[in-house]
Amino acid sequence: MKNTKSSGSVLSKIFSLRNIAVTFLVVYFAVFLAYPIFKAFAGSLHDWNPLVGTYEWVGLANFAQILTDKLFWTSMLNTAIFAGVSTFFRIVLGLALALLLSSKIVKCKDSLRGLFYMPTITPLVAVSFVWMWMFDPQFGMIDRVTGLNINWLHDTKWAMPAIIIMTIWKDFGYATVLYLAGIMNLPRDVYEAASIDGANGVQTFFKITLPLLKSSTLFIVITSLISYLQAYVQFLVMTEGGPGTSTYTISYLIFDQAFQKYNFGVASAQAVVLFLFTGVLTLIMFKVSGDTDLS
Amino acid sequence: MNIKKAFAAAIATVSIFSLAACGGSNTATGTTDTKADKGLDVMGQTIKYDPNHLVNDGKPINLEYWSWGSKGSDPVYDMIDAYQKIYPNVKIKTVNVSWDDYWTKLPLALKGKNGPAIFNIHNSYDALIRPYAADYDIDKADLEADYTTASVHEDENGKVKYIDSVINTGNIYYNKKLWAEAGLTDADIPTTWDEFIKVAQKLTKTDGGKMTQAGFNFNGDAYSAIYQGLNYQKGELLFSEDGTKANYDNDVTAENMQFLKDLYDKYKVGSNDFGNDYTQSFGNGQSAMIYAWGHMEGTLKEKYPDIEYGIFATPTFTKDTPFAYDRYNGESTPGVNGNQTKEQQAVAQDFIKFILANDDYIRDAVKYLNSFPAKSSLQEDKDILAQPVMAAIQPRVDRLIWPGPAPATVETSGKTAFENVFQNGMSIAEALKTAQNQMDTDMKSSNFKSMESKYAYYDEHK
Repeated sequence: MKNTKSSGSVLSKIFSLRNIAVTFLVVYFAVFLAYPIFKAFAGSLHDWNPLVGTYEWVGLANFAQILTDKLFWTSMLNTAIFAGVSTFFRIVLGLALALLLSSKIVKCKDSLRGLFYMPTITPLVAVSFVWMWMFDPQFGMIDRVTGLNINWLHDTKWAMPAIIIMTIWKDFGYATVLYLAGIMNLPRDVYEAASIDGANGVQTFFKITLPLLKSSTLFIVITSLISYLQAYVQFLVMTEGGPGTSTYTISYLIFDQAFQKYNFGVASAQAVVLFLFTGVLTLIMFKVSGDTDLS
Repeated sequence: MNIKKAFAAAIATVSIFSLAACGGSNTATGTTDTKADKGLDVMGQTIKYDPNHLVNDGKPINLEYWSWGSKGSDPVYDMIDAYQKIYPNVKIKTVNVSWDDYWTKLPLALKGKNGPAIFNIHNSYDALIRPYAADYDIDKADLEADYTTASVHEDENGKVKYIDSVINTGNIYYNKKLWAEAGLTDADIPTTWDEFIKVAQKLTKTDGGKMTQAGFNFNGDAYSAIYQGLNYQKGELLFSEDGTKANYDNDVTAENMQFLKDLYDKYKVGSNDFGNDYTQSFGNGQSAMIYAWGHMEGTLKEKYPDIEYGIFATPTFTKDTPFAYDRYNGESTPGVNGNQTKEQQAVAQDFIKFILANDDYIRDAVKYLNSFPAKSSLQEDKDILAQPVMAAIQPRVDRLIWPGPAPATVETSGKTAFENVFQNGMSIAEALKTAQNQMDTDMKSSNFKSMESKYAYYDEHK
């Protein structure tokens, strides 16, 4: 009787809600995160097509192929331009609007905050299609309203700027909301002291507001860069990397290699390079800012 | 505490049941068929199908058919209904998978033991399904006798994994209203590209220097198909003599790229900036002529039903018979899963014989896919030839060439070259060289071998 009781309590300990929940989480991360990452690293060293079962060791041949491929470097450059410009304007626009919304001159703050955040929560595919139509030279709204005659998505000079414009429009709301939260938590006494010392608006902004928002800025920069370095949906929908290869980004190239050409080995090697690039960039950001505390 | 325990137990139970459900089951329940004599006629010309027999010994059996199409677009669906009516013990479940997912989900499913017994095939994905598809259990001589393009699908052992039900190629679609407005009649239908240019110029309209109506529009993804046809017209193969490398960077491709560029820049019959999609532009009545394959009829019917259009054969460079008028491609018959059980494969093979012997399958394919029958007995059929696109294809059908299930890079890199020349200002020589390099890189690990050498007039190539 005693034995039955003790074995029952051991079982109930093993199958406790906490253990089951933790097990589910561990299994989830192992299957959907750790394993795919490990598989991508291993796959980058193989001629790999899981759809037909090809998996042959090729060593560093995939890396040699991509590092000598002109399109890979074009894609890296395009990615850097896209990520850099989009992040910069996301921050500038986001911060400007956050300052505006936190000032006393703007009414209906909650409605405006919701309005600005709406594009962020709208699916990117849908937004890309709408903007593709807006950019159309024959019936698109942009050329009609501005009186311009630009074939936005089919002109190599304008295709990337067009996608960047769309991306900034979609994403600035995210920065606005985060900056607003940051601004609301800024200590009032510092501003009062600055006011007593006779600091003007510009001085207050550059000497107080911006430095105090460093953590928010760093967080937005890093999350933006990581997400923009992986961007491919808008490129897939709006230009398919064209005209020619002028809007190929590294993530679009990975998608193209994996799901159009079924070279999963080459795609994995590209993903590994992107992973390392993103990691190094993030470390540099932390070092440059001299602040690793995002809280 | 009790609630916690009950909740934990519920989660564990659900998990166990969920995992168990993943295993699936092949046990079939349903009607047993005992009547071998169905009282039906034997069907077919050379491939004969006698329906008066029991399938799977009359025992119930469940199969799956996977397709990106649906009833009304994939002719196999109607055949499944007809087959199940004859054999009540057979249940074929149709599974629709979107095109984008199909080519990753299908090979992975076929790799396992529970993949569909029968599946739709597009020959451009041949390399992905070939390892898993079973050979057809039909004599090759019978296939060749009934289907004119069957021989190109035979492997070195004379076996096929699929053949063409119908085939298609490019034609010129013209807007009848704009044609009449320009004072053109049926007598003006061009047969050479020189004649075509003159007609296209008449169909082009400008207002204050800005184009308002294009005589001919190939903006978008039309180039890949056009260049292949133009190269064949001049006797240039798409692949090297040994069939393993792309033959893109050559004088003929350069000449044809220049010819297309001249249409816009010199003859001013269209413009790079006049819409980004030739289909949409034609559908909106803004472009008078486009080059398109048979699918265009379906697109026009579905999206632009008000456009009154005609179809004529793609012009050639001279009045002489060319090496080939154009490339063709086939809509494939279904594949049989070689990893399925013997029972399922036997039923699938029986189903394949049933559809290949059955003219209704081909008639449905002609109707749904706007394509020309590959079955020789239907190539002179009056009802089929009443469709304009069939009438345009029929006189050229012997002089159409199939390069084989070409890797995607042949089209995508060709498209990139086109965009580089037309939109990025790159020189033709540089664009062709870049595209050739890309094709070479992409095809390096491919097992592709061109079927051009199987073309009846292969010896006439350059």
